[in-house]
Amino acid sequence: MSIVTLEDVRAGYRGRDVVHGVSLAVEAGECFLILGPNGCGKTTLLRAVAGLLPSRGTVLLEGRPLAGMKRREVAGCVALLSQLSQVYFAYSVYDTVMLGRYVRLKGAFRVPTGADKRCVERCLAAVGLWELKDRMIDTLSGGQLQRVFLARTLAQEPRVILLDEPTNHLDLKHQTALMESLRAWTREEGCAMVGVVHDLNLALSFGDRMLLMRDGRVAACGKPEEVLRPEMLASVFGMDVAAYMKRALSRWEAI
Amino acid sequence: MRLGVKIGLAALLSFCAVLLAVCMGSVPLGVADTLRIFAHKVFGAPLPAGVSTASVAILWTVRLPRVLLAFCVGAMLSVSGTVMQSVLRNPLASPFTLGVSSGASLGAALVILTGFALPGLGGYTLPLVGLLSGLLAAFLAVTFASRVDRGMRSTTVILAGMVFSLFINALLTLLYALAKENIQRLLQWQMGGFALRGWTELWLLAPVGIVGVLLVTGFHREMDLLTFGEEDAGAVGVDTRRVKWLLLGLSTALTGSAVAFAGVIGFIDLIAPHIVRKVFGARHVVVVPMSALLGGGFMAVCDMAARVVTAPLELPVGAVTALIGAPFFAYVYFRRGREEGGA
Repeated sequence: MSIVTLEDVRAGYRGRDVVHGVSLAVEAGECFLILGPNGCGKTTLLRAVAGLLPSRGTVLLEGRPLAGMKRREVAGCVALLSQLSQVYFAYSVYDTVMLGRYVRLKGAFRVPTGADKRCVERCLAAVGLWELKDRMIDTLSGGQLQRVFLARTLAQEPRVILLDEPTNHLDLKHQTALMESLRAWTREEGCAMVGVVHDLNLALSFGDRMLLMRDGRVAACGKPEEVLRPEMLASVFGMDVAAYMKRALSRWEAI
Repeated sequence: MRLGVKIGLAALLSFCAVLLAVCMGSVPLGVADTLRIFAHKVFGAPLPAGVSTASVAILWTVRLPRVLLAFCVGAMLSVSGTVMQSVLRNPLASPFTLGVSSGASLGAALVILTGFALPGLGGYTLPLVGLLSGLLAAFLAVTFASRVDRGMRSTTVILAGMVFSLFINALLTLLYALAKENIQRLLQWQMGGFALRGWTELWLLAPVGIVGVLLVTGFHREMDLLTFGEEDAGAVGVDTRRVKWLLLGLSTALTGSAVAFAGVIGFIDLIAPHIVRKVFGARHVVVVPMSALLGGGFMAVCDMAARVVTAPLELPVGAVTALIGAPFFAYVYFRRGREEGGA
């Protein structure tokens, strides 16, 4: 059974669909990436899968229809790292990540147990922030903050990790380190990762399968070599992406 | 400084504020005598020869209930302010943002101007109608906000509250213009105060305050998450719409009850949560009880100042909270910013 199944999913804002009839399936242990030009519906699709935006069609999470699940049940299965996380009050890095345990805390007073603390420590280590656990989040750089929110997302222990441009604000080294640790996490935990990325090189390096979107619809879906074909990229992005990449590569080789 | 030490110091500061407020007044009482009278009344300890029965009566029937009521109102307004600032993620949000004070003032004005009294309630008609009309105004504002924006985004709620407040204030202005002879009484109620309040009011208000603060504290994780935005809170598992309704309802009930007994007292609800966050950090499991403790202590001191500074004339407590609070707030809030800027 697929961990996420989408059948003819349509979603949008103020009665106007942005995503039109997307169908796909993501398997456990898979790193599934969504690509496409700005405004093509990538984030809208992620929000619909996370249950944060009403959608039509069918979204199945481990075979259960999303429509019948309560907010807490959804959050126990799906976690979303959005682009829009805001810092309004200053919490410590550790406390911020512990907030990800919200649906896992048990008992009348929902006090974190040893298992919750160990999970937070593991998530902090996975994103390379253990040394900064006592720092206040309003003193962090954009990249460090992004990793804090990623650790909070992992602390939910979801079956599906939804990431909306997770490598935003990160330098190249941290981008690759983050994607590698995410891929390792996904395989170890047997969960699935569905991420929106803009960097085609990153997608090619880390995506097991990918979805290329155009105007809210599926332009191509499959393995990288099936999706990232020059003619397909040219028609979706409106430019000769392959030629651009090759020119850049030849300049690198000349240095 | 460790959090436990800070909490201990805050509790001590608050106790000292209440003790000072009880001791000070037109007839000053010594700290030792005050404690002896308290021990006599509560534990049945013998009363020393030097303490007059008049002092006992002043402390027990007039001053103590008034100070405790002021503490209770301060605590409730501060906690209410904490909720509003966190849920609406706006540093200027206060319990009055949703139109509670305007609604309560309109209800109170109608009672004062018409002389209306509910059967069996007599003088309690005014606070009851004030409470109900304050709650109704806030309920209408939030319902309106939820109808135009199902997600109840902070900006929508704040704007809806402003619209309702302005509209009700306009009605209130019309009432002022139409009934000039009762303006003094109306203004007195609106300026707030604790004169002539006693144990009865305290026993009515204290349970509401204690239950309200405990219930709000129970939502500390949800408030923590809501400060990161509705989308983040929802993604982590908070039913944001339901939790917002509950928290706004609790905050409004706390403010409405406090306003019903003490009139409109502003500023404390705005500054207490900011100061508490500066000192204790952002976690609401600490911020909510500390706001109650320090907000209560601050209100007790402000009421004491209102009684003592121009005795026998009493100042409006709302003016005192702003006069003492504004410079103190500026010192606490901007001092750290200046230090960081200079670093």
